[in-house]
Amino acid sequence: MATYGGWAGKVLRVNLSSGKISTEDTIEKYKDFLGGTGIGYKVMWDEVPTGTKPFDPENKLIFAIGPLAGTGAPCNGRTAITSLWPTCWPRPLVGSGHMGGDFAAQLKYAGYDAIIVEGKADRPVWLAVTNENVEIKDARNLWGQGIRRASLDISREMGPEASVAAIGQAGEYMVPMSVVINSFSHSAGGIGGVMGSKHLKAIGVLGTGSIRIGGDKGEWEKVIKLHLSLFGANNQHVVPNSPQPWAEHYNPRSRWVASAGRQWGAALPAIDTGTCDPHDLNKIAYRTNNAAYFLGDKAWKYTIRGNGCTACPIRCHTRLKVPSVAEKYGISETGQSTCVRLMFGGKFFKTFPDGPKGETAIEACMVGMHFADDLGLWDNYGQLQRDFQTLYAKGIIREKVPEKEFKSYSWDKYEQGDPSFLFELLPRMATKQGELGTALGLGTGHLLERWEIPEQEWQQNHALLYWKQGHPKHHSSEDAGQCGVIINTQYNRDAQCHSHTNFTRNGLPLEVQKQLATKIWGSADAVDTAGAFAPMNQYKAKMAKWSLLRKELHDSISLCNWMGPWIASPLKERGYSGEDSIESLLYSTVTGDKKSREELDQIAERIFVLHRALTIRDMETKDMRTKHDTIPDWVFEDAKGKAPFSKGTIRMDKEDIRLAMDMFYEEMGWDKATGSPTRETYRKLGLDDIAAELAKRGLLP
Amino acid sequence: MTNESRTREVVEKTLDFVSSRSSLSRRDFLFVTGGILVAVSTLKAHADKETPLIIMDQAAGLVIADSTRCVGCLRCELACTEFNDGKASPSTARIKVRRNLNYGPQSMYSGQRSAGNWGNGLIVQDLCKQCAHPVPCATACPNDAIVLDPSTNARVVDSEKCVGCRMCQRACPWEMISFDSDTQKATKCFLCNGHPKCVEACPSGALSYVAWRDVTAEVPPRVIPTAIISPEKTQSCMDCHQR
Repeated sequence: MATYGGWAGKVLRVNLSSGKISTEDTIEKYKDFLGGTGIGYKVMWDEVPTGTKPFDPENKLIFAIGPLAGTGAPCNGRTAITSLWPTCWPRPLVGSGHMGGDFAAQLKYAGYDAIIVEGKADRPVWLAVTNENVEIKDARNLWGQGIRRASLDISREMGPEASVAAIGQAGEYMVPMSVVINSFSHSAGGIGGVMGSKHLKAIGVLGTGSIRIGGDKGEWEKVIKLHLSLFGANNQHVVPNSPQPWAEHYNPRSRWVASAGRQWGAALPAIDTGTCDPHDLNKIAYRTNNAAYFLGDKAWKYTIRGNGCTACPIRCHTRLKVPSVAEKYGISETGQSTCVRLMFGGKFFKTFPDGPKGETAIEACMVGMHFADDLGLWDNYGQLQRDFQTLYAKGIIREKVPEKEFKSYSWDKYEQGDPSFLFELLPRMATKQGELGTALGLGTGHLLERWEIPEQEWQQNHALLYWKQGHPKHHSSEDAGQCGVIINTQYNRDAQCHSHTNFTRNGLPLEVQKQLATKIWGSADAVDTAGAFAPMNQYKAKMAKWSLLRKELHDSISLCNWMGPWIASPLKERGYSGEDSIESLLYSTVTGDKKSREELDQIAERIFVLHRALTIRDMETKDMRTKHDTIPDWVFEDAKGKAPFSKGTIRMDKEDIRLAMDMFYEEMGWDKATGSPTRETYRKLGLDDIAAELAKRGLLP
Repeated sequence: MTNESRTREVVEKTLDFVSSRSSLSRRDFLFVTGGILVAVSTLKAHADKETPLIIMDQAAGLVIADSTRCVGCLRCELACTEFNDGKASPSTARIKVRRNLNYGPQSMYSGQRSAGNWGNGLIVQDLCKQCAHPVPCATACPNDAIVLDPSTNARVVDSEKCVGCRMCQRACPWEMISFDSDTQKATKCFLCNGHPKCVEACPSGALSYVAWRDVTAEVPPRVIPTAIISPEKTQSCMDCHQR
């Protein structure tokens, strides 16, 4: 068998019921699915039968990475974790969570492309993986501890370089809204409870091996330098958010927030982020400060530095030092996170005494991070906090929660925007105490069912941003019109796809985007200005397909889809064009297995369609179009009654979206009536066996 | 320049350096060193093999680091090993950051007072100091396999001479020598011919390649060296240092 660079070559399988630990050959068994979610879906298809529930011992947890993980390919730090999704409602289906940090790299250096966890231990355990030494260890002393304490205790045993992915109390209590966390702040949502159901407190990984670069090392250096030269800031925003001496364009919405005068104020001494000329590759890490982007300019003075995954030059996590929280709330003055998780605490509140981006808001966020990352709570991409605010404002909490329990909360503090309210709420949520804590921990779908609220009520409320199956929208019509809508119909949790939004929101003027779009999707008509959408056309369907395939490609070879793709760049001399073949260049050089862009896209399609097949099989219906790919009512409404396609609205038109779905299914080679892949499509992708199995069950169109 | 005059120059330079930070006068040194032979070994021109290696010419440059700028991405370690060795191999990287990433140089035993991602956030980069005389790793090597790179005078492992005894690892107070289990040889920072890959790879400008200066007294050692120096070398040391 050919030997490849990039992959470690082995998949570790751990059965917690029997204690059996074994390995299998990655290339032999999984190369057609690359790694990451590709391995995850394959294992779920082959090994987890329809009807299995997330917390059943028969459910499996697949921590998987791809050939780029652990190398110097930028943005390779995310581990894909695939399982039956506990917050997917009304029936659990396959989903994946993705945690960054150092876990992926350590796993690769330890010699593994994936860990498949199966069964259920009869007592709390943790898994210690030090190179070829793998051991299931007693975790009774760790059970009941927060993530921070558990990680420290395990590090003491394994050594300070180990990466520990642990659950907190929320995972132990099998709270569906729980996470697993490694490297201080890098979480994967939804997974905590599944680990808890298996009595698995943590996985510690320590690797001292290496990854061979399969191609020429000089070529590898060139490819990496090319890739880095195309980088923007977080979300591949390629223009700065304020005028810079080198920049032709700027866009206030850009996450490229560095500028002279904006400083990492809590560094000792302060560091000015400067103008960050895109040609200066030694300044990439200063471009992004997501604390300043999400919490407001006040966060600059609290910024110690950027942080993030191993090998990523974009530091999307921001490390903050806010001394007042130690004094006021008795928590650590330092905290760190990114995006929605940075705002975990703040978003529960409607108001703060000093405004939405004042000091109290930042304190609330610090308190939120303190609890969320120690108890291991998930926010479901902010849906938790939106639900909470709405349920409170509508009086539903008062109605559904027993009076004695209701009165045990300091609602006056909540209404005043006092962050100490979170000390009452979050620990109870993590340990299923009382009706409120228990209900919030279920996730939106199950919460609505428990409290007898029709899902449609949530789907009609634009402010809630709820989409379907218990989960919210994730970059939908507001960023990419019909393309965003299509993408948000496809998964069994929030879509987590950034391929489309990272292009439409990259900050470049529309005319430049249209030039680039022509090269990639065949027509300038693929893109519009957000809020001035044109009716559907086939190029938007091509863009949607491309976006989804790149997401699965990234999740399988280990590139961050939150940062890529890299089809635009900040480089004026390139006409702001990026490189649509960068994934192919990276993959081919690291593995030595030459694959063109088209060939990789085809593998990505195989992986994406396998996800579709899993969804069809486990929903036991081929009618995806009406039963799965649903769109909430708010997408078709506008608060001011503006008509679809008029300026200033993201309102979509129902007929037009019907056409959009038709065009998308056609582009995918799926049956238009049902939205299910045809036998011919499965065959073309090398998935004959999948088609045969679905045919047996009457699930082919 | 003849070998002899080159040797003389190196000795003079080294004595300048050593006497500037010791109580011994230059004259004392010249007096006590009278008559000994000093080998200056480079990759290309090996001096008399029988002569123990004692004094090495100083390096032209070294890599220095700013901990407050480090963002903990470890791209330096990856550039070091991928671009030089064709493998991603943090455990053999010649710049060492990973070991301090989580808990800092004092590890997790200092609790919440520690550095790193789990402490105060400060990431400390460990770098080769390209030590001046006495170069601990070179002095400890029983095969004189740690020699000068001709382009920068970096102290480098001559992999043909290295037998993998790992004595150099025991000699470095900063634990900057790596052992490559693939090649069964030691490896250390060789300054990439004056264009260090780690410096080029740092996305936050936390590393700089600068003119050499002695930083050995500024960085606390990580371990107590336990290398054994051969009697021949010890004798050569005594030629200068014995009063």
